[in-house]
Amino acid sequence: MLLGDSGVGKTCLLVRFKDGAFLSGSFISTVGIDFRNKVVEVDGTKVKLQIWDTAGQERFRSVTHAYYRDANALLLLYDVTNKASFDNIRAWLTEINEYAQEDVVIMLLGNKADMAGERIIKSEDGEKLAKDHGVAFMETSAKTGMNVELAFMAIARDLKMKKTRQPADPKFNVAEYVDKEKKTSGCCS
Amino acid sequence: MAAKEAEHTELSEEDEELREDLAPGNCGTSMLIATDSYEHLETENFKTSSVVVKKRGHIHDIVRQSSQEHDESSGNEQTVHVNNVGGEEKLTPSHSEDSSGDQSDTSLNKAELTTVIEQISKTHIIEEDDDVKTPEWKQKRKHVFILSDSGKPVYSRYGNEDKLVTIFGVMQALVSFVQDSAHDTIRSIVVGEHRVVFLHHDHLILVCVTRGSESDRQIRIQLNYLYNQILSVLTLSSLQKIFKQRRNYDLRRQLSGSEKFLDSLLNMMETEPGLLLGAVRCLPLESTTRDMIAQSIVQHAKVKDLVFALIIANSQLVTLVRMKKYFLHPMDLHIIINLINAAESFKAAESWTPICLPKFDSSGFLQAHISYLDEECQTCLLLLSVDRDSFFTLSGCKNKITERLTKYNGLKAISDSLRKDSYNISKCGIADLRHFLYKNKSTAQYTSPELEAPYLTQDQQERLFGLYHYLHNRIHSSTRPLKILYHVGQYEALLGWVTEGFELYAVFGPLVTKSLAINAVNKLMAWIRKEASRLFILESVVF
Repeated sequence: MLLGDSGVGKTCLLVRFKDGAFLSGSFISTVGIDFRNKVVEVDGTKVKLQIWDTAGQERFRSVTHAYYRDANALLLLYDVTNKASFDNIRAWLTEINEYAQEDVVIMLLGNKADMAGERIIKSEDGEKLAKDHGVAFMETSAKTGMNVELAFMAIARDLKMKKTRQPADPKFNVAEYVDKEKKTSGCCS
Repeated sequence: MAAKEAEHTELSEEDEELREDLAPGNCGTSMLIATDSYEHLETENFKTSSVVVKKRGHIHDIVRQSSQEHDESSGNEQTVHVNNVGGEEKLTPSHSEDSSGDQSDTSLNKAELTTVIEQISKTHIIEEDDDVKTPEWKQKRKHVFILSDSGKPVYSRYGNEDKLVTIFGVMQALVSFVQDSAHDTIRSIVVGEHRVVFLHHDHLILVCVTRGSESDRQIRIQLNYLYNQILSVLTLSSLQKIFKQRRNYDLRRQLSGSEKFLDSLLNMMETEPGLLLGAVRCLPLESTTRDMIAQSIVQHAKVKDLVFALIIANSQLVTLVRMKKYFLHPMDLHIIINLINAAESFKAAESWTPICLPKFDSSGFLQAHISYLDEECQTCLLLLSVDRDSFFTLSGCKNKITERLTKYNGLKAISDSLRKDSYNISKCGIADLRHFLYKNKSTAQYTSPELEAPYLTQDQQERLFGLYHYLHNRIHSSTRPLKILYHVGQYEALLGWVTEGFELYAVFGPLVTKSLAINAVNKLMAWIRKEASRLFILESVVF
C-alpha cells in the first residue's frame, strides 16, 4: 500500500514500477484508492503484488484506514522538495501504528530525489527519521527510476521470506537488505 | 429584429393543432426518478434536508436490512461502517426559499444596498495587485464563487481564492445584511449587463456573476448542482458537523483535489442540456443489445449490498441496474458522469472511492468500484455498494461482466454506437428542422441530434444554448407558465411544447411559419416514437 501526502508522487512511483514510464505533465490526483496487480520474480518464485495506491488528501483518510489492517507492506512517501510532506511523516507513522498489523513491513521513501536544486530535506534527515522509527529508508525518483524497482522488490522478497521461512532460518531484514542494495543520489549516480 | 411570438397557455382548437397523446419513450417503470419542470429541482434540496430530520437515509436502510439478514449467522454488524452522522440532529433549512419564484422582491432599503454596492467598487480600488484587477479575469463570462457562512473562501472558478478574500467578504456582507436587516433572502442583483445570483444553503453561500443568457432561476439550479457536487465529496452530515464544530473552518482543506470536479461541472453546464432539463442522455442501442448488456450485469453482479450498477460511455447512459425499491435521481447521475469525466486517474486502474449521492442519501457515502471495460477507456462500469469491504468481490464481478460482454459483442456494439456519434437531424426527415431537445418526463431521459451547421463554432453553440435557455425559461415562467411557445428570432424560429408527459424544444430555420412548425413537430414526434426503443432505455432492470 502506498501512503503519503498529496502530490508526493505515489502514483508516479507505482507507474514507474509497473509500466517503466514516467507520468510527466499535469498532476493527476488519485480519487479514493486505485488498485493494481504486478507479478514479480524473486529467486525463481513468482510473487503477486496487489498494490493499493491511495489518495493523499485528508478527506480520504477514513477510507484508507480501513485498508491498513489488510496490508502486508506499506510504502510511506514524502517529497524531498516539500518540507510539509516530510513533517507529516510522523503523523502518518502514528496512524500506521494505530491501524496496521503489527508485523507490517514499512518502508520510508524520499521521492523526487532527482530534483537536486529544489531539495529541502537532506538524505540524512530521512535516514535519521527512519532509524528512530525502525523502518527501512531510501531515496527514490520516479522520474529517473532510481531505487524504484528495489523498493518494490525488497518488499516482494520480504513477503516471500515470511511465507517460506523455516523457524530455524535467520529473519530477513528489509532495512539491512535495502541499505546494502540502494543507490544514493550523490553526484555520481 | 422584429420578434414575433405566439403563446398558448391552453391548447388551441384550431386545425393546426398539436396532437397530444402519450409521450414517446414512456415505459411502465423507470429506473430514474421522474423529473418534472425545473422548479422542483430548485426546491428539492430543502426537502432532502427535511428527510434527514425525519429518518435515516437509504444507505442506513440497506445496511440495516442486510445486517439483519445475516445477524443470526455471523452477528458482525459492526463490519459495515456508515457515515450516519446527524440523523437525530435537528436541521433547520436556514433560508427556505419559496418555490413560487418572485425573485427580486426583497423589501430592503435601496439606499443601504447602494452603500454596500459602493463598497464593492471601493474594494476594487484597494486591491491594486490582486487577480481581480486583471482584464482577463474581469472579462470572464461567468464567475462562480463559493464561500462559507462566515465568509471564508471555498472556491472560485477563476483566480486564486486567497487573492479574492475581500470580494468574498463583500458577498458574505451582502447576504447577511439582507438577512439581518430585512429578515429576507437576497436572490439576485442586476449590475449593468451582469447579474449576480445568490444561493444560500446549509453553511455555504454560492454566488454566480454572469453575462450569460440564463435566467436567475436557471442559474440557481446550476448553483444547486455545485452545492450537490460538494456534498458528493463530503456528505451533508459531515459538512454540518464540520461547521458545527468550527464555524470559520477553511473548507478547502477537505475539498483539496476536488476543485476540478467543480470546474468540470461548470463546463458541463455550458455544453450539456441534460442538466437544464433534469434528464439523462442514453447511448443509442438496439433494445436487444441493451438488454443483453443489462443481463450480463444482473447475472454476474448479483452481490449483496450492491445498490446500483451502471455503464456510462462518453457521458451517455448505456444501462442501469438497480436494487429493487431504489431509484437514481438524474441529478445524482450527472454527478456520477461528472466524476468520471473529470478524474483521469480512473483510466489507469480499478478504483475504489467513496461517493455521496445527495438525492439518494445525503447523509452517507456509497462505495464506488470504477473501471473501464475497454482499452480505449470509453466504456466505464460503476458498481455502487454500501459495503466498504467488497472491493475484491466487485472486482471479480467486473471481470466476469467484461468476459461476457466481449463474448457477446456488447463492447463492440457500444464502441460502434459511439463512433456513429448519435444521429443526424436529417435522419428525422423533416425539412428546416435544425435541432431539437426532447425529454420524456416519466423516464427522465432526453434525446437530441448532433450539432450541425450552423452550430459548429463555439460562438454559435453558445447562441443555440442561449435560445434553449430562453425557450425553457419562458415556458416555465413562474408567473405565466406556457404549454406552447412559438417564437421567431433573427436567425431561427423556435417552438417549445410542454405537456404532462414530455418537453420538446425545437429550432427551425427563420422562415418556418407557425403552422409549418407545428406540422413538423407532429412528424418529429412520430419519428421519436418509432425510434424510442433505440434512443431510450425503456426497461428498468433490477437485481
